[in-house]
Amino acid sequence: MPYEADNRLLARLLKGEQPAFTELVKTYQSPMRAVAYAIVGASHADEIVQEAWLSVIRNLAKFEGRASLKTWLLTITANTAKSKLRQIRREVSLDSLPGGHDFNPDQRYADDGHWSSPPSHWEQDTPEALLSQEELRECLDKTLGSLSDVQKSVLMLRERQGLALEEICNLLDVSASNVRVLLHRARLKVFATLEHFEETGEC
Amino acid sequence: MLSCRELAEQASQYLDKDLSLSQQLSVRMHLLMCRHCRRFIHQLRLGQQVIRQYPEPLDERLDELAKQLAERSSKQ
Repeated sequence: MPYEADNRLLARLLKGEQPAFTELVKTYQSPMRAVAYAIVGASHADEIVQEAWLSVIRNLAKFEGRASLKTWLLTITANTAKSKLRQIRREVSLDSLPGGHDFNPDQRYADDGHWSSPPSHWEQDTPEALLSQEELRECLDKTLGSLSDVQKSVLMLRERQGLALEEICNLLDVSASNVRVLLHRARLKVFATLEHFEETGEC
Repeated sequence: MLSCRELAEQASQYLDKDLSLSQQLSVRMHLLMCRHCRRFIHQLRLGQQVIRQYPEPLDERLDELAKQLAERSSKQ
């Protein structure tokens, strides 16, 4: 059984156990929102997630366990969002919004491709140490806020939810090369934010 | 031989194990010899972990939502 934990949760859901619904919602609301956010944008994301949950409840008994529960939920969310999108067509842009820090290769490498301004040692060298600094968390909020809806969702689905690149492409209807570009630039922005903070103590 | 600048361009794909075998080998070869790039990759990984562990704002509405869903499903 590849999805044993899913099946156990599903059985409890079908019995109508309230704690199972709490577990379901707490585990999957955030990735579902990331998918909706990427496809329809911030203003419609909550409405889509709500609609997707209702559709999930209606179809719970039909879930066959051929994919993981997570994939099933995210696919329902993506489909709900895509039908909404037909009403509010938007373009996927690879451009970032202004704000946050950028990693600018022209300022970091010499003409021969070697580092001219190499990365320096960071005093805080673990994620826990980095995140314990409240000001840094505020800087990261700013940086994440400067990402486009799609880019932010790509970063969250990859780093927090661990989805495969291919899965992200399918859910969000973004080409593989665009997912790679969006993800790479988002990671460089996170890097640049951490680096700037470690060097100056400021955003 | 891969330059440091080229390595940075492939860094994300390296982290995602999304490179061809020969590309992966040239990144590894470069990393063996270049401490700046080793540090760069290390710090990119730190960034990944920071995003993974970044505390999410607690959403109090979730308990209410779960309750509604449970009620709705019992009526199906």
